[in-house]
This record gives sequence, structure tokens and C-alpha cells, in this order.
Amino acid sequence: MTQERGKLRGAKRELWLAWYVTVAFYGLYSVVFFALARAQPPGRPWLDPGQTVAWFADRHWGLLIGFGLIFVLGGFSAVALALITYSIRRMSVSPAYAYSYLILYAIAAIPGFMFICVAMTCGVMRPDLSPVTTQWLYDLGFLSFVGTMGVFLVGSLIWMVAILIDENGVLPRWFGYLSLVNALTEVVIAPSWIFQRGVLAYNGAIGFWVNVPVFGLYTVAFILLLRDFIRRDDLGTGPLPMPPPDVWGHAKRAVEAVGA
Amino acid sequence: MPPGEVSTSRVGERIIYWTWVPLFAIWITAFLLFPGFIPPVSPRASAAEVAEFYRQDLSRIRYSMILFNWFGVALIPILMLIAERMRGMAHRTPVLRFCVIGVAGGAPIAFLTSTVFWLVAAFRPDRSPDLTLLTNDLAWVTFTCGVPFLIALYLFIALAVAWDDQPRPVFPRWIAWFNVVIALVTVPAAFAGLAKRGVFAWDGLVSFWVKNVAIAVWIVVMAWSLRSAMARDGEVIEAGA
Amino acid sequence: MTAVDGLADDAAVGGDDAARRFPGDPDMWIFVVVESLVFTSYFCIYLYARTQHEQAFLAAQSALTMWVGILETILLLTSSWAIARCVQCTRAGSYAAARQFAFVTAGLGAAFFALKIAEWVHLIRDGYSFGSSDFMQHFFFLTGIHAAHLVIGFVALGVLVYELSDPRRRSHKTIETCSTYWHTVDLFWVVIFAMLYVVR
Repeated sequence: MTQERGKLRGAKRELWLAWYVTVAFYGLYSVVFFALARAQPPGRPWLDPGQTVAWFADRHWGLLIGFGLIFVLGGFSAVALALITYSIRRMSVSPAYAYSYLILYAIAAIPGFMFICVAMTCGVMRPDLSPVTTQWLYDLGFLSFVGTMGVFLVGSLIWMVAILIDENGVLPRWFGYLSLVNALTEVVIAPSWIFQRGVLAYNGAIGFWVNVPVFGLYTVAFILLLRDFIRRDDLGTGPLPMPPPDVWGHAKRAVEAVGA
Repeated sequence: MPPGEVSTSRVGERIIYWTWVPLFAIWITAFLLFPGFIPPVSPRASAAEVAEFYRQDLSRIRYSMILFNWFGVALIPILMLIAERMRGMAHRTPVLRFCVIGVAGGAPIAFLTSTVFWLVAAFRPDRSPDLTLLTNDLAWVTFTCGVPFLIALYLFIALAVAWDDQPRPVFPRWIAWFNVVIALVTVPAAFAGLAKRGVFAWDGLVSFWVKNVAIAVWIVVMAWSLRSAMARDGEVIEAGA
Repeated sequence: MTAVDGLADDAAVGGDDAARRFPGDPDMWIFVVVESLVFTSYFCIYLYARTQHEQAFLAAQSALTMWVGILETILLLTSSWAIARCVQCTRAGSYAAARQFAFVTAGLGAAFFALKIAEWVHLIRDGYSFGSSDFMQHFFFLTGIHAAHLVIGFVALGVLVYELSDPRRRSHKTIETCSTYWHTVDLFWVVIFAMLYVVR
């Protein structure tokens, strides 16, 4: 029995590598955007052209090096995508769900980092560009990054429906409902295309400070759930041998562990 | 499996396969035709100089970029042939194949976008030089720095080949090392924004010549290797039948 | 799925403990808790903005018609009653009656939706739109995101009716889950109504 499990673990190396790369990628992405390039939290949408030039100048090396790193490693966003696509294929639902997700999130890489990296690199490369043009690049970078949530919305909903109708127990239903919470925040960001200031702007109290923590919670949840899924996966096609984790059970155990 | 079924599938794949030859010829032609590649336009050029570039040799700029714009995506079916060969690899899950499919669209999209910028710059040569400079910058940065999908593609293929643990692997082992080398020489181009002169600038030896020659070499080597892989597939299927 | 299967589902998820503590699907409560936190943050942001610009908000608030808000609240509260009756009938095994109550719920929800749209159109015609003032920004945002939740509520009702329609299905868990969602949407509306229409 132990030997079989060992074999299976070895056979799961593709899944485990994908999982570790996913964690590393999200970690790197956060560090680059928040600490290195300091492009998040986003710049204020209401900056005048001169102020946007100063914004770029302030972050000259951070942007170039940070986004250079993304230009090298951004393609590894496909690893998370492949792992989730596999999880959907493992479900009892039609492959159409998995392939929809695959394409949607492959496309998502373009507004997800390509636009902002190109726009900001151009902005920072030429400090003597006219301020109005610099402001245009600033707008292009932030709006495309924050505002293009349609792909993520549709993608989240596809995954959610697949989870809720799945009979193989790949992912727990509560995560399906959490996906709905996340999908709704992607609707909430739509007004960021309209407002230059206020709570719904892309740097606003709702547009950024509520939305991003919800997305963070969602991401941490699915990373942990994917790890649990890989452990339970039998690399077959039918229902998984063990049911998905129940959040109440975890909460209860956590409470007991703290109290004990 | 009845021989009739096998040969239809193989003929279909061969049709896609042989498109790589005319495609490669078109790409090389377009590359030589575009006056901005030999020598590459300098990032240090002023707005006036860049505007002047788009006023001379307009036909060459436009036709070469139209060719690239049309055929830039034509490599995708061949990438899918590689993805299909991955089905025959000794993997336990399709995860690596999904990785390849996931990035297959990315590099053509990046390339396509840069051709759009070049074509827009060339469409109205009497535009304000500042706007032309901006458009030119966007084209060059997208083209030079927009390499994440290529690097990921090379490394996914390398890993897939390395983990193809069977007596007769789909691709020979050295293909894995080859892809790693190609990925490594492509990495410096991502940082082209940091330099306006020297080998790492977008007109430099490393970010321009090494990166683009690497792509050309990759196409030729993978195409040659794909041929044996497809033949191997056919033999394995017939042996199983 | 029979009623027995539905109960078996309840027991399987998280053990008997969870089934005893929470009606319906314990997983749906994750949605309720997290989404309530999200809405609470929206409400706090609104209230904070209000304290910063009390006069402006008061002035803009006068554009809203109180009786419309009251009517909308009555419609949704009644719809919650209807769906509660639907769940009661399901538990008692009267599936035909349950189905009827489900349709009543949908009808009341649709009436709310129609009234909401009429209210929006009326406001926009009077010149009050999304960007015309800070208060209106919050108003259209909160009522808009609530309406989005309501649309999803209609999908949930659709699933509920689908479950009730075929004797082979009728999963009690699914029906109660859909009902929990509907109640949550109603609850959000009551708070929105209190904050936007009543508190002056």
C-alpha cells in the first residue's frame, strides 16, 4: 500500500511541480507589482500630466527591472491555468468547461500583465516624452490592468458552474460560492472606466481596497484547495476516493487546536 | 486500428507540417524586407529621425508588416502538432500539454500587436513626430520585451521532453537541452527597456540579433525533430494495431 | 433524488454536526458570511462618505421617492415569505404547492426589478445619474450591485423550480440553498433601503 502511494506521488510530480510554480508565480507577481515596481496600490487616476511624469521618474528602476522580470516569467501564469484546467477535466462535467477556462485565462494574460508592462516600460524609457503623452501611457497601463475584468468574470463563472454541478468531488461547493463572491467583485470594478476619483475609481475604497482583499482571499483559498485536490487525486476519471474538504471541519479542528 | 483510419490522420498532420516551409520563407522575406530590421531602428533616434524613417521606403515598411501581420499567427497549427505529440509522452496527466496550449496564443498575439503599431505608424507619415515616436516605441517594446510566452513555451517543451520517461521517447533528450538554451538566450531581451545603447538595447546584438536568430533556429530544429516524432507516432500506432 | 437522498446529503457534508447546526447547505453559508462582510464594507464606506459631506448627501437624497422604496421593500419581504412557504411545503412533501410558491416568489422579485428599473429611468430623466453627485454614485452602485444579486437570485429560483419539477430530483439541500440565497439578497435590500431612503 505504501509502495503504491509512493509510486502515485512520483506519478503526481507534474501536478506538484505545477502547484509549486503557481505559488511561486503569485508570490513573485505580488512582490514585483507591490514592492518593486510599486504599481500597486495603483497611482491616482486624477494626476495631471506633470504629476504622471513624476510618478514614472519616481519608479524608474523599479518599473524597468520589475516589469523586466514579468517579461521573463509572465508566461508561467499558464501553469496555474493548466493545473486548474486539469482540475476541471477531472470533474464529471463536459470538457467544454475545461477548454473554455483554458482559452479565457490564456487571453487574460494580455490585460493581466502585457498591456501594463509595455505601456509603463515605454513611459519610463523616455522621460523627455511630452507630459500629455506620458499621461496617456499611464492611463493605458492602469485602466487596461484594472478595468479589463470581463475575461476573469466569465472565467470565474465557468469554473463556478463546473464546481457546483461536478459529481466527482474535485473541489468543495463552498469554493464554488466563494467564486461567485469573487465574480461579483469583477462586476464592481467596471465603473473604474468612468470615474477619475471617488470610491469606484481604480484606486478607490471600493474599487481597490475592498476588491483586492476579496481577490486575495479567493486566490489563497484556491491555492490551498488545489493542494488538497492533488493529494486526493487518483489520476483516474471517476469520483475521487475522498470528499473535498469541508470548511466547517477545518474551522472546528483549528478551534480545537487553538483551545487544546 | 484499420490502416485507413491511421493514414487519414497522418495525412492531415502532414499537411499542417509542411506549411512550415513556405511560412518560414515568408517570415524571412518579410524580415529582410522591413527596412527597420537591418539595421534595427535605434532607441536613441529622435522623434524627427523616427518620423523621417517612416517617410522613406514606405512600401517596404507596409508590405513587410502586412506579411507579418497576416502570417505571424500561422505558426500556431505547428505548435499544436507539437502539443499532439505530447499525448504520446509518458506523462500521467495532461498538465504540461495544457501549459503549452495555454501559451501558444501569447507569442503570436504579442507579435501581432507590434506589427499593428508599426503599420499604424506607417499609415500617416505626416503625423506629429511625437505620436510617431510613441507608436514606434510601443511597437519595439512589444516586439523586443514581449517574450514571456516564448520563454515559457520553450521551458514547457523542455520539461515535457525531460519527463518523457519511456524506452523510445517522442523527442530525443537533447531537444530538452536545446529548448533550455534557446530560453536562456531569449531572457536578456526582456530587459531591453533598461538600455538605450549597447548589446541589450532593442537594436543590440543580444536583444535583437540573438533573440530573433534563436527563434529562426528553433523553428528549423523543432520542425526537423517534429518530422521524426510524427513518423515515430505512426510506427507506434501501427505496432499497436 | 428523493427526500431521503436530500437528507443523506446533509449528513454527508461535514458530518451530522453541521447538518444539525445549519439548515440546508452549510457551504452556502460561506457565501452568506463573506458576501455580508463585503456588503458591510460597502455600507461603512457609504456611511463614512456621508459623514464627510452630510449636507450634500441630504440634498441629493431628497431626489429619492420614499414610497417607492417602501413598496420595493414590501415586495421583497413578501417574496421572502413566499419562498419560506415554498421550503415548508417541500419539507411536508407538497411539491405542487411548493412550486406555486416558487412562482409567486419569482413574480414578486420581477415586480421589484421592474419597479427598480422604472425608478432608475425616472431619476436619470430628472438629471440624476451615476456621476452627478457623490450620493448618486453610491445610490446607483448599491442598488445596481443589489440588482445584479437579484438577477442571480432568479437563476437560483430557476434551479429551484427545476429541482421541484421532476420527482426524480427534489434535492431538499438544493432547494434550501436557493432559498438561503434569496433571503440573503432580501436582507441586503432591507439594509440598503434603511441607509439610502430612511436615514436622513
